[in-house]
Amino acid sequence: MDFSSIAFANSLILGLSIASIFFVAALGLTIIYGTAGVINMAHGEFIMLGAYTVYALQTFVGIPYFLCIPAAFFVVGAIGFAIEKSLIRYLYDRPLDTLLATWGVSLVLIQGTRLIFGSDPKYVQIPSFLSTNVEAGGLSLGAFRIFIILMALGLAAAVWFIFYRTDFGIKVRAVTQNREMAASFGINAGQVYSFTFALGAGLAGVAGALFGALNIVLPTMGAGYVVEAFLTVVTGGGALMGSAISSFAIGELQSIFALITNSTFAQFLIFVVIIVFLRFRPQGLISASGKRR
Amino acid sequence: MNQNIYHNKTLQWLFYAAAFAVLGAVPLISDDAFLLNQLAIYGVYGMLAVSISLCWGSGGILNMGQGIAFGLGAYCMAMTMQMQTQAEGTIPPFMLNNGLDSLPQLWQPFQNTATGITLALVVPTAFYLIFGGIMFTARVSGPFFAIMTLATLSAFATIFVDLQPYTNGVNGISPPGSLNLGNLEIDPYSSGAYWSVFAMLVACTVAAKLINQSRFGLVVRALKDDPERVRFLGYNVAVYETLVYTLSGLIAAIAGCCFAVLTQYVSPAQFEVGFSISIVIWTALGGRNSLIWAMFGAFAVQGAQSYVGDQFLSTWILILGFSFILVVRFLPGGFAGLMETILGLLPNAKAKTATTNLEFRDAKEVAK
Repeated sequence: MDFSSIAFANSLILGLSIASIFFVAALGLTIIYGTAGVINMAHGEFIMLGAYTVYALQTFVGIPYFLCIPAAFFVVGAIGFAIEKSLIRYLYDRPLDTLLATWGVSLVLIQGTRLIFGSDPKYVQIPSFLSTNVEAGGLSLGAFRIFIILMALGLAAAVWFIFYRTDFGIKVRAVTQNREMAASFGINAGQVYSFTFALGAGLAGVAGALFGALNIVLPTMGAGYVVEAFLTVVTGGGALMGSAISSFAIGELQSIFALITNSTFAQFLIFVVIIVFLRFRPQGLISASGKRR
Repeated sequence: MNQNIYHNKTLQWLFYAAAFAVLGAVPLISDDAFLLNQLAIYGVYGMLAVSISLCWGSGGILNMGQGIAFGLGAYCMAMTMQMQTQAEGTIPPFMLNNGLDSLPQLWQPFQNTATGITLALVVPTAFYLIFGGIMFTARVSGPFFAIMTLATLSAFATIFVDLQPYTNGVNGISPPGSLNLGNLEIDPYSSGAYWSVFAMLVACTVAAKLINQSRFGLVVRALKDDPERVRFLGYNVAVYETLVYTLSGLIAAIAGCCFAVLTQYVSPAQFEVGFSISIVIWTALGGRNSLIWAMFGAFAVQGAQSYVGDQFLSTWILILGFSFILVVRFLPGGFAGLMETILGLLPNAKAKTATTNLEFRDAKEVAK
């Protein structure tokens, strides 16, 4: 391969890595938005909490990294469950207000974390074999980024299994399609929403456990993910498959644009492409409920 | 008819007059230059809250990207002020540092003060007209539109950081001198500057109030409740939505101009997501349905933030977050809504409501 095609192949691989990060960030949001139609502005802060959970468990308890990932899922999932039970459940019929209330939640979470842990950056330790670089024929990618790609595939499979192969999944899809009808068949819609919200929050916690090792951990780190995650979900239309396709497309496009121009301008171009796309297809790629939001 | 004196138009105008009389009298009481400048900046925040109240409270269009118009207006104004201090044929120092040797096309129009100020108002308004037009004809609405404004705002923040040679990137533009209008220099720390901003605030609020009371405002409020029905009644919903969104953008652009004049500084921080959302928070706390209460919301939140002191700032943000959650959950109308409820409990109103209920019951019995 000559130099330019190696550069291009490298940027495709980097694009895959960006796509997996977008997908992991957007996964929890997809579930919450796709099922309940809730725009959860605190999603970035759930990611941040996941990263802090890993940091706290490693520093104060000394738990190995791979056990911290499921721990982050349960800790953040429990926080999400509590927030749903105490606030979100009262706002399902006021979508704009959910958006505002969850923004308030994010303010409280950022500030609370800052009061407890301070504003200085924290670091998450990962096993040494994950901090190497994998190289093959001029192509290279960090081992941890490959780990994230594998995690993205694993999480997608797990969510697919929960939604399409379990009783809970059937209930969730029934409530998504028609809440009243599902309720009249004896499904406790409120409970389904609570557990879906907790599941989405837990997945954000897993994302945080991964991103905390990728970057430094700060109380404000969530803001960097939330807008991209939203665009991924909205472009995808709220369905799992839609988010997978849109994160893949956005990641690859961003990487290719960055090769042609620079990474900041690439981000701007992505915004423009998404806005133009949504102008012509406001319901996104694959609409979860068939309802237009 | 006036069951609740909160809805009495004459009293509303009297309330506006009283509030503005108090605000306008501040420079007569105090001549502390720093205080006047700070209060004038609060006036700018008040304008932003009024603009959000106009499109969100009246039209139901939640705009989380009001920083777009605000930032564009502020940048255009700062560019004009920067060019006023440049001698003929020289270019701003930061451009030299970024490798430019002549004034870029983008900056040419700002050499003329009148053109610059006109652009500061026209550019954001035109952008809102086009962006709103595209979005509303595609029937993008509700939370969806809010996300789109947020994304567009982020795109602007990115591009203004990236265009370093033209915008000085994250450092922003800080014009060395204050704005000159003809022979008049507007010193940002003078009572003249305070009164100019105050006049803008009054003009914007009164204009927005008149819009709300007009026939146009009635249609806008109707489409907040049920756009589908308004559409079936033969109104072009997209036109009304675009217009009210554009008008709110114009107010934000005026606020942006005032901000640049007062602070002599703009940076991509004006495009920050957090800032645009805090405008929404002020409006929600004050009361989205009332222009003047939205303005009070801005004063209260920003004022409290400046005076709690640095050591309490972290606790303050926690309190702000919690009170915002509580207001959204229990008091969707903000303090204006609370005011409406309290005034509705006055004896006069009670008697009227009671009779109405009685009549209603009679009517039901007749129907039986």
